[in-house]
Amino acid sequence: MAAQVAQTPPVSTPVTISTRVDQVGMRPLIASWVRGIIAVLIAIVMLIPVIWMGMTAFKPLPDAVSVPPTVFFTPTLEGFVSLFTQRRQLSAEEWEAMKQRTDLSWAEQVMLPRQQTIIGESQFGRQLLNSVIIAGSSTILSVIFAVLSAYAFSRFRVPGKDDLLFFILSQRMLPAVVVTVPIFLMYRQLGLYDTPLGMILLYTSFNLSFAVWLLMGFIDEIPREYEDAALVDGYTRLQAFRKIVLPQAVTGIAATTVFSFIFSWNEYAFALLLTSDNARTAPPSIPLILGTGGIEWSTIAAGSMAFLIPVVIVTFALRRHLLRGVTFGAIRKG
Amino acid sequence: MFKKSIFLTAALVLVAVLSFGMVGAQDISELTIWWAQWSPADFLQQVGNDYEEATGIKVTVVQTPWGDFYNRVGTEWAAQGSSFDMVVGDSQWVGQAVTQGHYVDMTEFMTSTGIAETVTPATLAYYGEYPAGSGSYYAYPTEGDANGWAYRKDLFEDPANMEAFEAAYGYALDVPQTWEQLRDIAEFFYRPDDGLYGIGVYTQDDYDAITMGFQNIFFSYGADWQDGTFNTLGVVNSPEAVAALELYKELYSFAPPGTNDAFFQEMNDVYLNGQAAMIMNYFAFFPVLASDQNPYAESTGYFSMPAGPGGERYAALGGQGISINNYIADDRKDASFAFIEWFAQEDIQRRWAELGGYTCNIAVLESAEFLEIAPYNAAFAETMTFVKDFFNIPEFGRLLEPAQRNLATYVVAGEGDAQTALDQMAEEMDAILVEAGYVQ
Amino acid sequence: MSDTRIVQIFILPTVILLICMNIFPLIYSLFLSFTRFSVISDAPPEWVGLANYQAILTDPRFWNNFAITGRYALVSVALQTIIGFGLAMLLRTKFKGSGILTTLILVPMMLSPIVVAVFWKLIFNPSAGIFNYLLGFTNINTSPEWLGQTDLALWAVVIVDVWMWSPFVMLLALAGLSAIPDYLYEAAAIDRASAWFQFRRITLPQVMPLLLIAVLFRTIEAFKQFDLVMGLTGGGPGDATETVSIRLYKLAFQGQYDTGMSSALAYVILVIIIAVSNLYIRQLNKARG
Repeated sequence: MAAQVAQTPPVSTPVTISTRVDQVGMRPLIASWVRGIIAVLIAIVMLIPVIWMGMTAFKPLPDAVSVPPTVFFTPTLEGFVSLFTQRRQLSAEEWEAMKQRTDLSWAEQVMLPRQQTIIGESQFGRQLLNSVIIAGSSTILSVIFAVLSAYAFSRFRVPGKDDLLFFILSQRMLPAVVVTVPIFLMYRQLGLYDTPLGMILLYTSFNLSFAVWLLMGFIDEIPREYEDAALVDGYTRLQAFRKIVLPQAVTGIAATTVFSFIFSWNEYAFALLLTSDNARTAPPSIPLILGTGGIEWSTIAAGSMAFLIPVVIVTFALRRHLLRGVTFGAIRKG
Repeated sequence: MFKKSIFLTAALVLVAVLSFGMVGAQDISELTIWWAQWSPADFLQQVGNDYEEATGIKVTVVQTPWGDFYNRVGTEWAAQGSSFDMVVGDSQWVGQAVTQGHYVDMTEFMTSTGIAETVTPATLAYYGEYPAGSGSYYAYPTEGDANGWAYRKDLFEDPANMEAFEAAYGYALDVPQTWEQLRDIAEFFYRPDDGLYGIGVYTQDDYDAITMGFQNIFFSYGADWQDGTFNTLGVVNSPEAVAALELYKELYSFAPPGTNDAFFQEMNDVYLNGQAAMIMNYFAFFPVLASDQNPYAESTGYFSMPAGPGGERYAALGGQGISINNYIADDRKDASFAFIEWFAQEDIQRRWAELGGYTCNIAVLESAEFLEIAPYNAAFAETMTFVKDFFNIPEFGRLLEPAQRNLATYVVAGEGDAQTALDQMAEEMDAILVEAGYVQ
Repeated sequence: MSDTRIVQIFILPTVILLICMNIFPLIYSLFLSFTRFSVISDAPPEWVGLANYQAILTDPRFWNNFAITGRYALVSVALQTIIGFGLAMLLRTKFKGSGILTTLILVPMMLSPIVVAVFWKLIFNPSAGIFNYLLGFTNINTSPEWLGQTDLALWAVVIVDVWMWSPFVMLLALAGLSAIPDYLYEAAAIDRASAWFQFRRITLPQVMPLLLIAVLFRTIEAFKQFDLVMGLTGGGPGDATETVSIRLYKLAFQGQYDTGMSSALAYVILVIIIAVSNLYIRQLNKARG
């Protein structure tokens, strides 16, 4: 199926200046204004949850759960400090004593209104680090493998090419939960359970399927003539690949890198079942930030923010390549 | 040459990754304990910090919310993993963990050091022994716990309320002695227009919350999970059980909105924000109610489970013992034994109790200080005399699933009736017990 | 180095990795699906033939799981298609700031589903959440409990899914719309064709192939859906939102560790996904002509 999708004729460049007869005159101009306003409204609606989360991250606990919800509040860093520490509730006397002390660290002062003292680090810092290591390494590996395969598929006659490509893409259709049981057993046997290496290999294999497709789209667009000319000039295949193709494919490689990273960064099901303490990444632990007194929404929001901000930035950086990325590169122009 | 550099990069990445995964495997300078996420685990972390000061071995308590705790530990068992050295495991787990070989046998350790004699016999039996009466121990009783109630004295003792209650129900408003009275009080305080609700009860269906909440009434009404021969048919769905379930659902109808997925946190939440006149909770969660975080701290009272129609009283057992992971290296096991031996000493247990842990140490429990340390300790001491637990056979996790689902479907989702829910539950439990060979 | 050699060296790592991480597990779980086996106990797998499949296909609870998944997929994908296409129609002609607006609307689909789910729990919360307030329910006693009522919980999941993924449909629809050659509209304008006629005869058929691709991707994703449901409701209340993926997870890991049965269920799900995809692809090829 995917093979057929890929054969869609390249779509023409988007037209930015309308040549349409019906768009001349006042009426369409007003219509475009109305459209703009509606679109702005919808964008606001779409963003309310994200904005709300950003606000909650800076709310003190009572404001985070107040009925009705508060919009104005005094911002605090309680949520962020809670995220990275383990705390203990103080008794009234201990609290009084704490208040008198002048040698409190910055974080302890932030937590003082909660009547809590910091007794250690939380796991979250380490889990974020795991996320960075695992997502980072798997991205590098999958991009390397994918560039090589994509180049081979794009430039050479590979026996059973369509079948192989379909096979690669079909991996993306497997629900994660379906393959976890056997992978779990296999990893237990190989000692890969709860290791960064295990997660890196797994994410690499899942990223590969779309990375190959995405990169193939980009490499297909690089005219073969450049390479042919280089070969005539006495370059070897590999030199041509390195000196001609790679520099031309840089945008594609960048886009693939970022999409692979986002997938590994956001992944939840495998991380939930195949890691426990050593290699646990941030996504399975964010729903577990609950707190011991009441549900600590500001901490949860702080964790979500810390986790989502990189992705939001990347979305902006990437907007030109979004379409290709989300459709496995099956569609050519965005 | 290019090929070389690519493979070199790949190899470098792999090596970096491998070495990262290997770091910190052998040297025992730290111990990891898994427990659920709640205040006692914070207290244990504090005790662990003391241990680091005393011995230089760093103790880390890793906390997971109750709803996911069993799943996480279960997954670790299935993986035969060594992420934790010790786990403070729930009372129901012992059977499964022992039969499937996940816990280290501590019998020799507990008896030779005399530690078995320092804790109350009931807690040793519930938290540490398997099979029942065998004298084989797999855990050191760490946190004794059971369900109790917290209530708003200011509301209960308000003259206007007392008058109105007596006029409506014909008896004085006080701490309920029976479940019927508790129902009346919940109904009486159900005033949604004023933002006040009668009661808070457990409803979460992740792990065992709704079953534990329901069990309090279920046992007190004379019902049980099985008849002694593991037969559930006609037992789980007995008329007493049906009456108990109908009552539980009625109690839930007096609860604040939004408590459809509620466990201890939500109970404390609705109490702290003044929505609930009384809440059920494990005693381990009452310290927050006695702290400055609770605007009603001064006027908060505590009582133990009321009696069923036959005068019987039961409270759902909570509490955990600390066990050693069977899949860790021998030297780590020894280090874990050393920690438990240190932890079981009387003065450490006293420190544990002062911090807010519910020690099982006889000497500490009997001391006058303990009863006075906290306003709820008297109700706790009383409750621990009539505790009862869910199945603790290895199949308890599978048995819990139909209990949780059918209870939540009827009580929270409001589908069907009590009889159908319990009939269904009895049948499903029977199927599991037949398959496991308990019933022919 | 010969070209064949290059091809081999370039493609092998990918293929080997995919075989180890995907094909081997699939074959292994096919074997396990014919056995009685639990990962948590040490007993070896015991061959039981088709018993697991029989149990799944005759158990009304499983059928209920499939029905819930189907309902969820259908409603969710339909709403996403309508909203996403509507958005695309709004944004197809460029105006000042339309580029930045389009990007802002795309933000939800880049976020981590599990984090999104956790956060929507607060938004849906009947007392402290803003969802009910924005809808105008200010009395918390009468306002709906989105995640607590059997009749609403699945809708709540659908709402979050639509919020997250309508932008995806929009993106594809925009690509389709921008590809429609202008002369078609010019010709229609000369013929004085109505706006509706233009939409029905030009816009819709031209954008259809891409819209179908969007629908195909979203349907597959809806059947796979795990993170969002797990984070929002965990399948509850009761089993109101227990989709097949959630059921599979519970069967395979939560308390039960019924590895044999869960492998069989995994295969049933796989077959359904493949069948549904094939149906769509046939439609897609028809639309292409």
